[in-house]
Amino acid sequence: MSSPSPLPGSPDANDLIGDGMTRTLGTAAAGGPGAQDHPVLDVQGLHKVFNAGRPDERTAIDEVSFSIAKGEFVCVVGPSGAGKTTLLRCMSGLAAPSSGTVRFEGRELTAVPDEVGVVFQDYGRSLFPWLTNGRNIDLPLRARKVPRPDREKRVQEVLEAVGLGHVERQYPWQLSGGMQQRVAIARTLSYRPDLLLMDEPFASVDAQTRFDLEDLILRVRRDAGITVVLVTHDIDEAIYLADRIVVLSGSPSRVREILDVPLGPDRDQLGTRSSEEFLALRKHLLSLVMPR
Amino acid sequence: MTGRPRWARLLLAVWLPVVLLAAWWVASATSDSPYFPPLADILDEFVDEWVLGDAKWQLLPSLRNLSVGFVGGSVLGVLGGALLWRIPVLRRATNPIVYFLYVLPAPALLPAMIALFGLGEIRQMALIAFGATWPAMLNTLDGMRGVDEVKFDTARAMGFGSLRTVWQVVLPGASPQIAAGLRASLQVSIILMVVSEMVAAEEGIGYFILEAQTVFAITTMWTGILVLAVVGTALNYAFMGLERRMLAWHHGSRRIGGVPA
Amino acid sequence: MQTVTRYARPALVPGATLLVVLVGWQAVTASGLFRPDQFPTMTDTFSALGAALGTAELWGAVGATLQGWAVGLVVAAVLAIVVGAALGANDLALRSAASVIEIFKAIPAIAILPLVILVLGSTLGMKVFLIAFGAFWPLVVQVIYGVRAMDPTVSDTARALGVRGLRRFVAVTLPSASPYVATGLRIASASALILAVVAELVGGAEGIGRRILFARNAGVSAYPTMYAYILVAGALGILLTGAFFLLERKGMHWHESQRGVGTGGLKAR
Repeated sequence: MSSPSPLPGSPDANDLIGDGMTRTLGTAAAGGPGAQDHPVLDVQGLHKVFNAGRPDERTAIDEVSFSIAKGEFVCVVGPSGAGKTTLLRCMSGLAAPSSGTVRFEGRELTAVPDEVGVVFQDYGRSLFPWLTNGRNIDLPLRARKVPRPDREKRVQEVLEAVGLGHVERQYPWQLSGGMQQRVAIARTLSYRPDLLLMDEPFASVDAQTRFDLEDLILRVRRDAGITVVLVTHDIDEAIYLADRIVVLSGSPSRVREILDVPLGPDRDQLGTRSSEEFLALRKHLLSLVMPR
Repeated sequence: MTGRPRWARLLLAVWLPVVLLAAWWVASATSDSPYFPPLADILDEFVDEWVLGDAKWQLLPSLRNLSVGFVGGSVLGVLGGALLWRIPVLRRATNPIVYFLYVLPAPALLPAMIALFGLGEIRQMALIAFGATWPAMLNTLDGMRGVDEVKFDTARAMGFGSLRTVWQVVLPGASPQIAAGLRASLQVSIILMVVSEMVAAEEGIGYFILEAQTVFAITTMWTGILVLAVVGTALNYAFMGLERRMLAWHHGSRRIGGVPA
Repeated sequence: MQTVTRYARPALVPGATLLVVLVGWQAVTASGLFRPDQFPTMTDTFSALGAALGTAELWGAVGATLQGWAVGLVVAAVLAIVVGAALGANDLALRSAASVIEIFKAIPAIAILPLVILVLGSTLGMKVFLIAFGAFWPLVVQVIYGVRAMDPTVSDTARALGVRGLRRFVAVTLPSASPYVATGLRIASASALILAVVAELVGGAEGIGRRILFARNAGVSAYPTMYAYILVAGALGILLTGAFFLLERKGMHWHESQRGVGTGGLKAR
């Protein structure tokens, strides 16, 4: 397995949301960047079958193993129907593997841990239409028993962090698609997860918004020193965002290759995407993903 | 979840009703409450009254009044709804009256109906028909107004005449909601059948039950309640069966497409 | 001037029909086509209505009917939401209970009326029980549908956000099922009013139905009052239906079917 890339960003990277609160993450202090013995997320021999023992039995994931170190940005790419969403559901604790294990900070997952955030592709359904944007963001904070004054402050802070102004009194469906996905990201960031899992988060927005959101997520990740796993079918997006890419084969999925993306911490849409390394990586990835 | 074998699903569906019936039997066996006689006694009485006795003939006038009233009211309602759909001026003109009669709780009219037409089965049928008309009418109207414009264009493109359009496009398109209206009509009809018999009639299942209650023949009353419950349930199921048959295309397309409602 | 006529026109046609009906009523009764002991004149009925509106009797009856309607519906709704949500969340329990619910839903509530009268007497409790019994079964079915129809993304999101237990039920499950519950309540409300009138008419509980029967029993001279009370029953129907319509619009303003109906709502997407 390749070595994780160094933690990007400045030493005060913990200060995303602006209050300088120290993040509590044991492995960070103990291992620091590249601590291979303390991965944030460790997937071993993951195998997932649907409708086991019935005529319509279907293997979604054959065998997938990889681990993700603190602070890494990992993209999972694969052709459509390669079980990417199933893999993400298993990684978040939303679904249980048929065999194999998923460990988050050493603990085997049984439910979604409080320190894990998930952003879904379908923001239109993931944001609760009966709650205002503010209440949507507030909900996980209430569930975590954050005191009220803190909650109000945090709602403001995360909305600012995702580049939205005062939309907390509006309803999600009153916003454009890109703004809705920003609210969904803000909702996940509000409780300061250690690990952010994203399932095709930018697949349902237009191209320009997509670039903006990609840069947003890179900035958030740099500011927060957060670990991100993003599932996508778009290999350009994967190269642009990731420190490391896990390439899945088609259905049922297996890991075809795990490759480093040595593009450095600072990326920009125009420069990065037209660089030699980017194009070389793109060519290599295409050859992996394209059916032969 | 759907992977259970057939017998297991059958068992799951049946065990609770069986347990409840058994519980009723056991709990009431030693009951000395005058209101809740032992189930065994009720069943004995049922055989005496309804199988050997003459009580079964009480069902005839009830069912006759119900079927004439319900069918008459439904036909009136569907035709009226279609007419209101076809003639917008009429729709707007009659809107407040129709709406008032629709939301008016129909049993409230019973005393007035007695005053108007006196006692008799014609009055009962008329009352049932009256109550059944409005849900059928308004749902027919709504259903027809909801038919997709594209379907009209298609019909026009195929050169359908207006009668043919109604028969082949509007009626099928509106039928799910018409069925919903008729189901509401049936429920109102059953209520009106029983109430009219209870308040002012000398025959019928409602009369039988209230008469038994008045003379404090509680066990006999229970048999009447059970018969009425079974008859009402059977009517509702018969309606649902008919609806499912006639709207098979609709239920099929919905089961694939979305949620049951 | 033109704007006045433009706004007045929609009300013109129905207003004219209303007038025709009232005049027609007066014509058939005053001309002797119907005798006063069959059908009182429109003017007599409305003067009786005017007189009744000033009496505590009428308002007491309206209050009693409304009380039975409201308490019965609330009891049914609370029970249906608790039971329906529990059953909707548990496949085994649902499959066990489904047949019982289907059977009870098909039983006409009116069947148990004589028994309920016997046990509870001519009381508010009797009326409430009958209404709650009649409303519960269709409502619980709607709640189950609503809970089971929850979007998988919605339930995944709730789990991913760590929203659990009672908070999940109140903030996620109920609102997500509420369109179904609202439909069920709207239908239940209409049948609850019918059952309230029946409980008063047959069971003798205080309320508008009992007043109608009293007026009829008081003889021909009270017939205009009987019709006045029937008009009041219809007005109650309009009031409750209208109130439900407004409540649904307010409570469901976020739902696709209601968006943009209210004031100043931005167009979605």
